[in-house]
Amino acid sequence: MRPRATTIAFDVMGSDHGPAEVVRGAAALSLEAPHIHALLVGDAQQIDAILAETRHSGERISVHHAPEFVGMHEKPSEALGRTHNASVLVAARLVAEGEADAMVSAGNTGAGVLACARTFKLIPGVRRAALASVFPTRTWHGSKQDPFSLILDVGATVDATAEDLVVFAVMGSAYARIISKNPNPSVALLSNGTEATKGPPRVVEAHAKLVQHPGIRFVGNVEGVDIPKGTADVICCDGFVGNVCLKMLEGVAETVVELANYAYQSALRWKVGLAMLSNGLKQLKDVTDWQQYGGAPVLGFDRLFIKAHGRSKARAIANAGKVAAKAVTSDLAHAIREGLQPGS
Amino acid sequence: MALPDRIDPRPPRRIYRWDLDKTYLQTEFDTFRQLVRTALQKATEKQAVPGAAALIRELRAQGDSQLCIISGSPTQMRTVLEAKLKLDGVEWDELVLKDNVRNLLRGRFRALRGQVGYKLPVLLESRIHAPVEAEEVLFGDDAEADAFIYSLYADLIAGRVDEAVLGQVLEAAQVYPDDRARIVTAWRAVPRADPVRRIFIHLDRLTPPAYFARYGPRVVPIFNYFQAALVLLADGELTAAQVARVAVEMVQTAGHNLLTLSNSFQDLLRRGLPVQAVAAPLLQALEGALQGPDAVLQAFRPLPDIVKAFTRRVAALGAPPQPPEPRPIDYLSVLDDARPRTHPARKRP
Repeated sequence: MRPRATTIAFDVMGSDHGPAEVVRGAAALSLEAPHIHALLVGDAQQIDAILAETRHSGERISVHHAPEFVGMHEKPSEALGRTHNASVLVAARLVAEGEADAMVSAGNTGAGVLACARTFKLIPGVRRAALASVFPTRTWHGSKQDPFSLILDVGATVDATAEDLVVFAVMGSAYARIISKNPNPSVALLSNGTEATKGPPRVVEAHAKLVQHPGIRFVGNVEGVDIPKGTADVICCDGFVGNVCLKMLEGVAETVVELANYAYQSALRWKVGLAMLSNGLKQLKDVTDWQQYGGAPVLGFDRLFIKAHGRSKARAIANAGKVAAKAVTSDLAHAIREGLQPGS
Repeated sequence: MALPDRIDPRPPRRIYRWDLDKTYLQTEFDTFRQLVRTALQKATEKQAVPGAAALIRELRAQGDSQLCIISGSPTQMRTVLEAKLKLDGVEWDELVLKDNVRNLLRGRFRALRGQVGYKLPVLLESRIHAPVEAEEVLFGDDAEADAFIYSLYADLIAGRVDEAVLGQVLEAAQVYPDDRARIVTAWRAVPRADPVRRIFIHLDRLTPPAYFARYGPRVVPIFNYFQAALVLLADGELTAAQVARVAVEMVQTAGHNLLTLSNSFQDLLRRGLPVQAVAAPLLQALEGALQGPDAVLQAFRPLPDIVKAFTRRVAALGAPPQPPEPRPIDYLSVLDDARPRTHPARKRP
């Protein structure tokens, strides 16, 4: 059966690499996935100049001119207050109006979330949206055997309540079911101990609620050390904790690479050892390559927003588009809605 | 007095020249296996590029036209190719195929893949007998050297290319001496005129459109034949209703939809082609057809959806870019394109 045609709006401006990588990613998508149409939102002249030099299918790409954009270091509320025609806001508006089914942006995360908050509607039962991120783990998850677990929230909602954490669990579970093809994902709360009474009151309260939640396979609390172990498929926390965790894990990974480089330069014996390991390290890098996963979904709105990494190259953008299209065709919003009203 | 048994038709006002493989037919022959499969296909198994047959039928319906097909397919395939054209309701005036058996027997191996030495003399010789005032629209693809050959043909008969440049081109394309002589003789015999209005290049290999900017605005790379029909509507060669019928064939036979068609329309706008003005008559034609008995047009979505899709694509662009200025083609700088696709010196995007 031919998949349903889906249109993904790409905020072309504002990524670390400028419009080029986003346009090339959308162009690649137009060749790889005939059922996905790309709506490129940004400076039409710049987009066309890149597109004209790139292999693409003109039948599956359209352009919406929006020359202004929010820079990476701008304060989102100020930037979106300055202009109503920033590319990320226009893209979100086009999704809200039904011109596209979901949005992908590699630009300013805060501006993306704020643009969604201003134009999309929250799903009934969701008080705050959550930004979900994948993190490489040592265990495999779902029938796709993804070497990632999902952590949410990693920055959209700084101070989540117990109810918010339960909603995050429902949303993360639905996302893992659909995107990772994991029919019954395990869900955990991030805390400072595995006991039900450990953690701040909101985590303890959320634990009590999740234990009784019928639609979720809640496996209790996990600690920070369990994130890279992959103890749970979905890990829930508030945006403040999630963001600190994610940045720390990224920092550790970068430090390991730097230490390996140091070792490589220090002694011939280590150099030879690393050279012998290079094939294995490359395989490990390929398996845990975040670019293949596309981006982080913002969950909780009636429309989907995939936040791609600011440093995303064309392949990551194309994959973000595929993930967005998959979430749309699988009706992720409906799955979340059902999860929030398990009795209905 | 006895009447003649045949009244000659009026001389053609328009000549449409089509390539066959990858332009009219969806053909794959990049590997030996594909080549064999293509050679063994029956007429009913061959697939036309969506919209190509409808476009030809609509162009022919305008009257006073001639359809000349020049294909690199071997002469042994004439029967099956003619059968396919008949199945599609396409009526042609000339169908020239390549005599590769003769090339093989004479040891002319370069001619097996060569395009310039085969197509250029055929085009020029066909033009000798055409009325001077007959205008031409040419259709090719991006797989071989069609943009180069068609542009050179157009500029040769318009007198914009001299014999010295032609000589260098034929040298670079490794054209055999007897074919060179044929080309020069035919070129001298062709009355000077500037009849080539458009050269459409079907992007079978999805070559980036900017690659063809070197050939000026006369060459229009197209992703599909709806785009060609839109440009021909803007040029006054087709009516809006005829364009709608091309679109319908694409919707019905190849899974095209409102998105692909409206995106195709906007793609032309963004490349500076003058199709903005045709949106209104096209939508009017669709409106009329949807209200009339022409049930085939019901394949489209409801008219408000269609209107919205097309008008939004126009509005989304702000001010569309200006059309590119025509400028002379420097054939010596694009000699690479004259070489066969498999030539080691040829670089393609």
